Amino acid sequence: MFHVSFRYIFGIPPLILVLLPVTSSNCHLKDKEGKGFENVILISIDELDRMLAIDSNCLKKEPNYFRKHSCGDKKEAAFLNRAAYKLEQFVKMNITVDFELHLLTVSQGTLKLINCTKEETVSKEPKKNDRCFLKTLVQKIKTCWNKILRGR
Amino acid sequence: MTILGTAFAVVFYLLRAVSGESGYVQNGDLEDAELDTDFSFSCYAQLEVDGSQHSLTCAFDDPEINSTNLEFEICDSLVGVNCMNFNKLQEEKYFIKTKKFLMIGKSKICVKFREENLACKRVEIVHIVKPEAPFDLKVIYRQRANDFEVTFNTSHLQKKYVKKLMHDVAYCHEKDGNNWMHMNITNTRLTLPQRKLQSDAMYEIKVRSIPDSDYYKGFWSDWSPSSHFKTPDSAEEMNPVLLTIGVTSFFSVVLLVILACALWKKRIKPIIWPSLPDHKKTLEQLCKKPEKNFNVSFNPESFLDCQIHKVDDIQSRDEVENFLQDTLSPQLQESEKQGLTGSRPGPNWPSQSPVITTETFKGELPFGRPAGNVSASNASMLPSLWAPGCREGISSGSPVYQDLLLSPGTTDSAMLQPFPHQPGILTLNPDVQGQPILTSLRQNQEEAYVTMSSFYKNQ
Repeated sequence: MFHVSFRYIFGIPPLILVLLPVTSSNCHLKDKEGKGFENVILISIDELDRMLAIDSNCLKKEPNYFRKHSCGDKKEAAFLNRAAYKLEQFVKMNITVDFELHLLTVSQGTLKLINCTKEETVSKEPKKNDRCFLKTLVQKIKTCWNKILRGR
Repeated sequence: MTILGTAFAVVFYLLRAVSGESGYVQNGDLEDAELDTDFSFSCYAQLEVDGSQHSLTCAFDDPEINSTNLEFEICDSLVGVNCMNFNKLQEEKYFIKTKKFLMIGKSKICVKFREENLACKRVEIVHIVKPEAPFDLKVIYRQRANDFEVTFNTSHLQKKYVKKLMHDVAYCHEKDGNNWMHMNITNTRLTLPQRKLQSDAMYEIKVRSIPDSDYYKGFWSDWSPSSHFKTPDSAEEMNPVLLTIGVTSFFSVVLLVILACALWKKRIKPIIWPSLPDHKKTLEQLCKKPEKNFNVSFNPESFLDCQIHKVDDIQSRDEVENFLQDTLSPQLQESEKQGLTGSRPGPNWPSQSPVITTETFKGELPFGRPAGNVSASNASMLPSLWAPGCREGISSGSPVYQDLLLSPGTTDSAMLQPFPHQPGILTLNPDVQGQPILTSLRQNQEEAYVTMSSFYKNQ
């Protein structure tokens, strides 16, 4: 009995303390006016959209990733940060040099405009040829940026 | 002690070798003088200058610098790489062409000597943008509008990043080479009015651009190639056809004005502003004015030598008409044969007698003037039926028209009252016998008589 109470007294509170930072948002937007997005990132997103001309049915099936991570209220910066890191994983798809450049422009440009105290952990890599996921990801990033700018 | 001294010497030697103090010059290393040199430099960027590739050009501010072994390097805000090295051009400039500018955030540009940074500067690529020079500058003269249409082209219209530019159009008279006029526009078309330019002169024009947006900023581009145009001569501007039309129109207007002034009173004004008829003046125009020595008077004393038959009452007209027709028909035939002269009063029929009305009197007096003086109340008063030759008429025994005077009682009231439509006939004075008197049955004569006599009464 004594060992059991020890487990609950000394095990659970530290667990709570560890989990709390995970749930809190520690990212904020540096470019509050959105000029960097409108003049640079948006141009690259449109170029990626043009290059990723695929079946429109792709967007109807939303991957599970986006159910877990969405551009919720007060979580926009965190979502963009996470999405930017995810985007870099598609660089190895080797489509074209320009495609890679625009991909990195969106990813690194977003990371430049968002300041997070905690570094994002890289999740499982997606399939290399999952263009549908990539297109959805790019659209989600664009939508989240527009949501931020509309609220300004 | 010896060991301690040796240790100090070794340490001192190692310190000197490692630290690389100034003044220690080796072959190929920077000298002291060069380390004091100002390595300040300037850079400008041109985005999408070659397709989707951007360029960055840097040069030292001091052209005397010996740039041997000096290199430029850019780090940060690059896509996919950390740093990139510049290429050296012949004009002591350092140049890099790449697609890897992130264009978000600041980059660090350093002057390096081998691996050592001599001078560094943190710049934002989007703030040192220098647009490409405009081209295809054209000037077209529009004769109808009397202006010059200036158009030019720029490669930034098709670019994705730097699209918004401000253009500076400069023009000057060739003889006055330093006095340039400047105009700032945001589109690629400009209109120069001819009145702002001298006539018959040669002008030079050129244009340059600068970024004009909130995000992209930088420097003026190079000037475009100059274009020349000549303004037309002012003497040639007058079209002979237009000149003729203008002169003709002017003279036509002058003629119209003169005609309008001349014909204003007689023709134009009566049409535009007709005057109301004035009865007195109308009557004057209709009636002939009496001569100066023509004395007219309605004074009964002037008619003393005439047989005046006062009318006491008025009978029915119809009865008298019949009577008169019976009595006058033989007399009419007689008078027509004889004719009517001015001195011999005969039977005076209505057609020959002065039919006097206030409106239709023609001013003809078939009889001579009366002996008595006549005083007219005004010029409009004219004698009605005269019997100047009363005595002659009476002596001849021919019926004459007599002035018929109404009884005083009726005179005043008859002046203003209209004569009855069926005045009837005036009965004759029984004192006068054997005098066939023709009475005027006509309404106009009676009305005129009454009116004229009433004028006298009212005097």
